[in-house]
Amino acid sequence: MTNVWFQSFKKVFKECDYDKSVQSACDTVRGRNGHVKIMYFQQSMEPVTTLLSLLLVMAVDSTRSVTLCRNQQCGNFLQQTLKLTRLIHKESVDLIKIYKTTQGDMSELFCKISINNVPDPNISGLDPSERIVSIYSHIQAFLPHFKRVYEQQTDLQLPTNTLMTELTRVSNRSSSLAAMVNCIYQSLFPNMPVPEPAGGPTSLPPSQNIFQQKVYGCVVLKRYKEFLSNAARELRTVKTQVCKKRTQMNVLS
Amino acid sequence: MTAYHRGLLHVLAWVCLASSLPASAEHEYHVMVVPQSPVVEIGSNFTATCMLINTSEATADDLYWISSRSVIPKEQYTKISGSAVNVTITITRDTPQWLLCKCRKPSSPYITIHEGKFVHGILLRKGYHPEKPENLSCVAIQEKDLISPNITCVWEPGIYRSQDLKTKYTLCVTLPGETQKVEAKQNNSAQITFQIFPNHVELDFWVEAENMLGKAESEHLIAEADWFVKTNPPSDVKAISEKQFPTSLLIKWIRPIAKEYVTLMYQIRYRSNRSPSWRNVPPVDIAKEIESFRLQELQPDTVYVIQVRCKSAREGYGYWSSWSANATARTPEDIPKSEPDLWRISRNEREVLLVCKDPVLSNGKIRSFNTSVRRGKASSSTTSVNRSDSDGSSSKIVITILGLIDLPKRETVYVEVVAINSVGKSPKARLEIPAHGAAHERSPAEGLKSWSQSGQLWLEWQPPKVTAGGDAVTEYVVEWDDGLQIDWQRERGNTTRTAIRGSLEKFKRYTISVYSLYSGSIGTPVSVEDFLEQGVPSEGPSVKLNGTPGTHEAQLVWKEIPQDKQHGFITNYTIFYSAGTEEHAIPVPNDTYSYPLRSLSSDTKYEAWISASTIRGSVNGTKHSFSTLKYAPGEIEGIVVGVCLGFLFIVLLAVLICIYKRDIIKKNFWPQIPNPGNSSIGTWSPDFPSKADTPKENAPADVSVVEVDLLDRKSVFEEDKACLPLKKDKYLSEEHSSGIGGSSCMSSPRQSVSDSDEGGDSSETTASTVQYSSVVACSGYKGQTPSSLPKTQQPTFFRSESTQPLLDFEENPDIPRQENSRQFGRLPRNPSFRHSPTSEDSSNSADVNQLEMEDRGGMESLSFCPVEEGPQQTIPTEESQSSDWQQGVPVCSYMPQLGGYRPQ
Repeated sequence: MTNVWFQSFKKVFKECDYDKSVQSACDTVRGRNGHVKIMYFQQSMEPVTTLLSLLLVMAVDSTRSVTLCRNQQCGNFLQQTLKLTRLIHKESVDLIKIYKTTQGDMSELFCKISINNVPDPNISGLDPSERIVSIYSHIQAFLPHFKRVYEQQTDLQLPTNTLMTELTRVSNRSSSLAAMVNCIYQSLFPNMPVPEPAGGPTSLPPSQNIFQQKVYGCVVLKRYKEFLSNAARELRTVKTQVCKKRTQMNVLS
Repeated sequence: MTAYHRGLLHVLAWVCLASSLPASAEHEYHVMVVPQSPVVEIGSNFTATCMLINTSEATADDLYWISSRSVIPKEQYTKISGSAVNVTITITRDTPQWLLCKCRKPSSPYITIHEGKFVHGILLRKGYHPEKPENLSCVAIQEKDLISPNITCVWEPGIYRSQDLKTKYTLCVTLPGETQKVEAKQNNSAQITFQIFPNHVELDFWVEAENMLGKAESEHLIAEADWFVKTNPPSDVKAISEKQFPTSLLIKWIRPIAKEYVTLMYQIRYRSNRSPSWRNVPPVDIAKEIESFRLQELQPDTVYVIQVRCKSAREGYGYWSSWSANATARTPEDIPKSEPDLWRISRNEREVLLVCKDPVLSNGKIRSFNTSVRRGKASSSTTSVNRSDSDGSSSKIVITILGLIDLPKRETVYVEVVAINSVGKSPKARLEIPAHGAAHERSPAEGLKSWSQSGQLWLEWQPPKVTAGGDAVTEYVVEWDDGLQIDWQRERGNTTRTAIRGSLEKFKRYTISVYSLYSGSIGTPVSVEDFLEQGVPSEGPSVKLNGTPGTHEAQLVWKEIPQDKQHGFITNYTIFYSAGTEEHAIPVPNDTYSYPLRSLSSDTKYEAWISASTIRGSVNGTKHSFSTLKYAPGEIEGIVVGVCLGFLFIVLLAVLICIYKRDIIKKNFWPQIPNPGNSSIGTWSPDFPSKADTPKENAPADVSVVEVDLLDRKSVFEEDKACLPLKKDKYLSEEHSSGIGGSSCMSSPRQSVSDSDEGGDSSETTASTVQYSSVVACSGYKGQTPSSLPKTQQPTFFRSESTQPLLDFEENPDIPRQENSRQFGRLPRNPSFRHSPTSEDSSNSADVNQLEMEDRGGMESLSFCPVEEGPQQTIPTEESQSSDWQQGVPVCSYMPQLGGYRPQ
């Protein structure tokens, strides 16, 4: 359901970005401290419509799961995922540069302070399946933090700021990456349960002042960049290990 | 939808309608057709049901179907109940839109009265099932540094056959996490927009075509997003020249998009600035993801233009970008690799001009030429010709004049030339100009012919005959000369057919010569003239006349059209000339420059012009007008001379006739007049005595007969000058004398003179040439009318005894008597006569007086003078009393009155 929720979140962003008519509505749901309430559906839609929307989202979700797991060659699929991981990594690097330039003085200081409550960039697990699940879980864990950073920066930046655009871009790509990793997992390990984020729902930091928000944002971005680097390395390893093995098995069979 | 489902729907609709209609049946129809407003596919069978509602007036047997005013046959009906009947029809393009169900029962007055309640119809909407869209393709272009999130897809919608049914096209795409559908505004394209372009994510595109008859889906286009990418071309493309690599250029560029988005491969093409065609670098030589490349095997000192483009490096993925902007660089110079093209242009037998072109592989700007000339066994002399900076800067081949050299009589001249650029010297070019006369020992190429084809002038020849022990041709030089410029090209020794590679101009006459070269020694040339393309002459010949035109001929001359205006070989000239509407054309050969026009009309204005013709057409020259003469030179003089001669001849003839026929003439014009002196006059009046010497008082009038010769006319005129007015009056009076009683009074109106009553003088003289004799009756007294005579006086009549014939007039019987009577009233007194002694008629006359007169005067003319007229008239003038006359002739009785009209 996290995914469904994030899709709704994306739609709000999308409308705020592209539809000027709903700009005021978008403004009304933004909190002063970065806390954003999803009130769009509650205010603008009737219960029946909501029900239909729910059904549609369910249908989309089911369609997506089918689409995600289209049978592909192991190497191609992993290569695609690996390229997307590198792309997001590259964009995260650019994002950090943009972030620093948009935070004013002492931006370097913000990024040197270490804080907790941000996911660890290291990938855990012993075998490939566990490590893939770990990658998937990390992506899912970072998404709420991205959302929180976006909310906080919305109060600090102009809506047209490049930082906001890049944050949205990285979030969107991360969602796609999560879906692709999930598909890889289902493709490579079809008999294993669908991975869920370990440790339950992601814990977000409590209300923060602007300094804390800026430090928090930079830490999230840096951790995510490190994670993507690790994920790329891990995916390359998995590609080497798993796909080669599968190719040999196909040849033998 | 299966037939089962369709039938089920019919039943459901029937049930629904049947259950809902009773409430309003009183106000509605009693006949109902289902389904309502159906959409049917052309070519399929359609079944409709007609049923009776809320009436027992009719049964299903009374129902019938109508399509386009014609009743559908009962065979197509299916009775499904006592009140319902089906009809099944095949839908075609021509099937009418309306299908009606009616009830007919003549026995029922209710149905007859309420006919409108027993009819119902449905509108059939026909069409085809939508066709499957084909050839779906999508593209996402680059915007700034990223790929645009807008993806545009196009497809072929198929034949749109359903005019009544609108087909809706929907573009669908699925990617991990979502599916998007966009209704196409056009039937063959649509654009779908993502929030961001989903790089490296697999996309699934397809198109759905849907209308009321169904839905058709295109093939799915499933590919990674890179498949659809079209990036910008590489930016900032540079070509770098490195001095140590004269045949190489280093190309650098900046990739248009980060490699994390798209992995790129490149394509490079280049061309020299002199060549319009591009050369591609083989793709295998270009690695992926590069941003520089070194072009090799280029020509030194040549400007190259380079372009680069890119696409996704994955095989079959993406679209090639546009070509980048031009990158231009010149390769460094190198040593000339080939010798200069040395040639000579003959000025005359003793001098030649040495010329040369830059080496083909000059590899840089030629700065100078070193020329070495050796005559026979003498030592060579070397000269250097420097090139200015402007020479050779253009792409046009430059001919450098090396100098003019004299040719010794019996020595061969050896010429060597080296081209020098900034890097070094070229190989030597050698040319051997044989001694005068030696070249002719080598026979020229044979059968040289030329023709124009595909915008080029082609030549073909046969190699010269090689004598035993003679040298073989090593190469040929083809030289062409348009009169102003000379150019040449070299061909190998085995060449017999080539095209001139120089830039020839149309409509220019070229003299093309083929020289055989024997190891650098020039042989005898063979030449031909030709045009690259012939045209119509730009101007016609200017015609003029040679000399002056004649009466019937004119000589036209014209000059040959200047060669630069001929534009082709003149095939012939045509002479046109016209005098008004009729135009004559005379074709003459092309080597004719004068032509005599003959059979022209005299005294006519002509226009003449010349038309010069080539195989492409003709052009008229300027017109020249001229007029032929009315008379040929000397013609007038000839006519005058002829007329004069003719007149002279006639005169001579007349003179001769006069001479030889003088007797006849004399006889006719001057007949023999008897001497009046020999005549005897009798007096008819019995009462009047016949006396010759009538007293003067009783002689009122005299009769005078005067014979006047032509020769005397003058003298008579002189004498009568004073009397002319009077004479004229007398002539006009036409008073004639006439004979009486058979005699005649010879007096013509012009030539005879007789006294009249009005005349104061009793005697008058006439200057007429007509001689006459007459018997005249004169009044007694001159100046008096006969009536005034005293009645007592008796008229006196004289009768002439002359034998001279009477003139016509004298014989005219109509002459009034009264006039005659007047004349008869006159009486001559003592007339005297003289006669020419030559007169034959008078020869028989033996009058002594006559003989005396002949002796005295010798006068040929006959004088007739009145004697002793009245006192006024008898007094002779002094002139009349000349000594001759006084001596030889008695006083003439009839003398001219010199004093005019004398008053009486």
